[in-house]
Amino acid sequence: MSEAAAREARPGADPAAIKAQIVEYCKRKGALAVGVADLEAIDRVAPPGHRPGDILPNVRSVISLGVGGQTQGAWTVPTKAFAYFGSTEGRAYSIAYGCSFFIESRFRARAIYCPPDMDPEGGARIPLQSLKLHAELAGIGARSLAGDILLHPEFGYMYYASVFTELELPPDRPLATNPCPAPSCVDMYRKTGQTPCMKFCPVQCLSGTIDERGRQAEMRYEMAKCAELTQQYEAVPEVLAEALAAGDAAARERTLFDPDASLLWYKMSVGSGGLLAQCFECMRVCPIATRAPLADPIRRAQAADRKD
Amino acid sequence: MPRGLTFEQIGVTEAMIASYADAIWRLSNNVQIRRGDPVRLLELDRVDAERADLGMSDAQIAAVLGLTRDQVLAIRVLTEVRRFRRRNYHRLYELGRGSRFRADRYVPLEARGGFRADALALREALRFDPKEVRRFVEAGWWGNDTLAGWIAARAAEAPQRAAIRGPDGDLGYGELARRAERFAVGLHRLGIGRGDVVSVQLPNVPEFLVAYLGIARIGAVMSTAHVPYRAAELRTLLAHSRARALVCLSRNKDHEPAAAALALPSLEHVIALGDPVPGTRSFAEVLASAGDLPDDLAPAPADPFLLLYTSGTSANPKAVPLTQQATLGNARMGAPEHRITAADVVLSAAPYSHLFGLYSFHLAAGVGATNLLLPAFTPPDFAQAVAAGRPTVLFVGPAHLAALLKIGLLDATDLSSVRLVIASGSACPPELARAVAARLPNGRFTQLWGMTETQAGLYTRPDDPIEVAALTAGRPSPGTEARVVGPDGAGLEPGEEGELQVRGSLMFPGYFDNAEANADAFTADGWFRTGDLAARDAGGNFRITGRSKDLINRGGVKYNPRDVEDLLDAHPDVMQAAVVPVPDPVLGERACCVIVPRSERSPGLEELCAYLLERGVARYKLPERLELVAEMPLTPTRKIIKSRLVARIARSA
Ligand code: SF4
Ligand code: SF4
Repeated sequence: MSEAAAREARPGADPAAIKAQIVEYCKRKGALAVGVADLEAIDRVAPPGHRPGDILPNVRSVISLGVGGQTQGAWTVPTKAFAYFGSTEGRAYSIAYGCSFFIESRFRARAIYCPPDMDPEGGARIPLQSLKLHAELAGIGARSLAGDILLHPEFGYMYYASVFTELELPPDRPLATNPCPAPSCVDMYRKTGQTPCMKFCPVQCLSGTIDERGRQAEMRYEMAKCAELTQQYEAVPEVLAEALAAGDAAARERTLFDPDASLLWYKMSVGSGGLLAQCFECMRVCPIATRAPLADPIRRAQAADRKD
Repeated sequence: MPRGLTFEQIGVTEAMIASYADAIWRLSNNVQIRRGDPVRLLELDRVDAERADLGMSDAQIAAVLGLTRDQVLAIRVLTEVRRFRRRNYHRLYELGRGSRFRADRYVPLEARGGFRADALALREALRFDPKEVRRFVEAGWWGNDTLAGWIAARAAEAPQRAAIRGPDGDLGYGELARRAERFAVGLHRLGIGRGDVVSVQLPNVPEFLVAYLGIARIGAVMSTAHVPYRAAELRTLLAHSRARALVCLSRNKDHEPAAAALALPSLEHVIALGDPVPGTRSFAEVLASAGDLPDDLAPAPADPFLLLYTSGTSANPKAVPLTQQATLGNARMGAPEHRITAADVVLSAAPYSHLFGLYSFHLAAGVGATNLLLPAFTPPDFAQAVAAGRPTVLFVGPAHLAALLKIGLLDATDLSSVRLVIASGSACPPELARAVAARLPNGRFTQLWGMTETQAGLYTRPDDPIEVAALTAGRPSPGTEARVVGPDGAGLEPGEEGELQVRGSLMFPGYFDNAEANADAFTADGWFRTGDLAARDAGGNFRITGRSKDLINRGGVKYNPRDVEDLLDAHPDVMQAAVVPVPDPVLGERACCVIVPRSERSPGLEELCAYLLERGVARYKLPERLELVAEMPLTPTRKIIKSRLVARIARSA
């Protein structure tokens, strides 16, 4: 369908035309990849309570979009500074948020931006929805050996957001091939038994095997270890518990106000996200995440130059 | 509260948590195992079959385990918190900018070195006035000095330049740095860490400096014990300093220090220099250690690195903790004042176990000069070292000079290489100063006043006229203030004698673990009461006139016997003299003159008094009793220990 035809699609138009218009909207706003996930497949994989229909009762389609993961420069900074780059995902959320308004105003169909946060009934580690599952089924990312972080063969590592709508849109297929493990990772695995992400993970929470054809055979991920490295919300009650158990006033003061604790209070008071993401050392050493053909703005600009 | 309900309401008990926590953990997302790529390949039956490994929701886990969803939720979240290790994210601080995590090199936080309780207690003794800290730092008196940093810099600048000239030839700064590093590795292997005290009881041999630098390299603290000390003294010092190791000789003349030290209860390691001693480690073995030191053992300028013992009693030892920046700053700023440069060859007659000896080494290490080593002072050995090593700077005590002069060795030795003499340890009799100066064809005589507590506080400068150097201890060192006060604490006019008080960046912060000594060591406004008597001249030079506790109180008339002693020292039949008080039922105290005769012929009391009267000494200052001794009790810097003379006289009475 031509872009002009897509722009003109209105309620009742061909779902493919509507989908094209939605995709075009998201890309114009900065998404690198956009797809529609098969709702039935989502419902098969996601547990009850975490399916799109648990949020939007008459949902018909799940749109997933991805924005560029990081600038090339971001991969060179100290890891503690990298933790602050998580706000990149905010770009994905705002596109998704805008997309939901776009759908309602343009197509008169209900739409929501899928809240990318925790299920208040499930503690701090269970999200309302798996954005990863949506993106994977929408064909804009495949699970890697790095704890199932999604990778894209062209864009490398991205941040994802989802839009649910009552519009019926034709679903996409998952990616035909998984870019992980990259050939160099397979070589390394054959020699050492580890891929780069496994070797350089600071808490060694990744392990796995690769089959004789160079495909993922098994991925093992200790999420709790990964979470404790960067997701410091559990530190808050621990500091308080330590303070309560302190033997004297000086020990209590040190527990509450040592530099680490002070940082926690700072994060809480200003609502800053640093140190509340993942460390992404696995991605820093990943050839797909950092060196896929369109993985960062410099590579994308160079590719655009080549096209011209 | 899971979904608002209490544990009691949902029936979760500690027994239930203990029973199910592991299973819930394994089934939850906290541990994820995926085989193949089933979601991407839409092998959805496989997803169902492997859900236990992929990670289940709480409701799914509940169905598997036969619990309620709320129970699973409560147990899972509690287990997540209990298993959470808060400090793990510190690993991130070492990563990025080209550094990657290496499991084989990572040392967990809990396995990293820390300070032992004893080391923390020593650090707790370092309490400085915050205003003074700011002043010292702003003025540059306290800087980024560490001994390890200095030696590394010297080794990088000129690795071949001789750091040590000893009996076995020259040792370059590069090799000295390497040996110090290896000794540091050896100490680290023995479990010695930052802030731990290691005692060193060695003469001025290269191994002393290797040990010192090795100790300082790992941020440990060196405490010294003078070589003549035996088990009784060592027991007191080592117990007080909490030393974990002692570096000492296997054999010293007829004594076996290393074997004796094994019996000392507080020590964990004895490192013996010399023949092997069962139960100890050899110095060579510790020195043979190879490997890298962890980064967190790097010393910091504000760390204590010396714990030196001054006077005090065995029940109440006075230990002086000194930081790297205060001590090395005193030497860094002192070198240009003394005009010591990398071209100098420095010889210390004072032992390195004493601050004056260490000061000579610090000056040399700060500029890259050579340290000519004299293991132990005897007049012939000293003369021989001067003749062979051609030193340019001599660090000596007046008693050393007096001994050399009296037996004619100062005349017999070629002193043409010497451009500077720094005399310290006790006030130098002016006649002696003039006599030494007259024998230096190319050199200048200077005096230095210092204490373990204050380091080098006052000194004359090389350009000062000999009368200033002969009569005074000079002016304050950079970063130092000095004043003379009367009994009421008020400042005195030039020429008036009173107590010398000092403050500044050179100062120790207080005695370690000795509240009694600290109680009156400092004035309320932070001046250290030195206990020395002094008078300031119009040029700002301080003349040290004695010790306040050496004053003799004869029927309420207090006087300083120092001038009498100087005159007696010059008597042809007297080798050495001291005047001390003896108790008297009527007058309180009377003066007793103690002398070491020069020969068989001992002068009598009357003869000595006549000699003193002839030289204008007031009658009330004449000694009223005479004691002859074969030798004086001396400190390592050959200062007479008057308290021992007083005790000896009391015993003989
Ligand atoms: S984000 Fe960090 S801790 Fe988590 S898997 Fe990647 S490297 Fe390991
Ligand atoms: S480094 Fe990247 S491509 Fe290689 S195995 Fe890990 S996730 Fe896959």
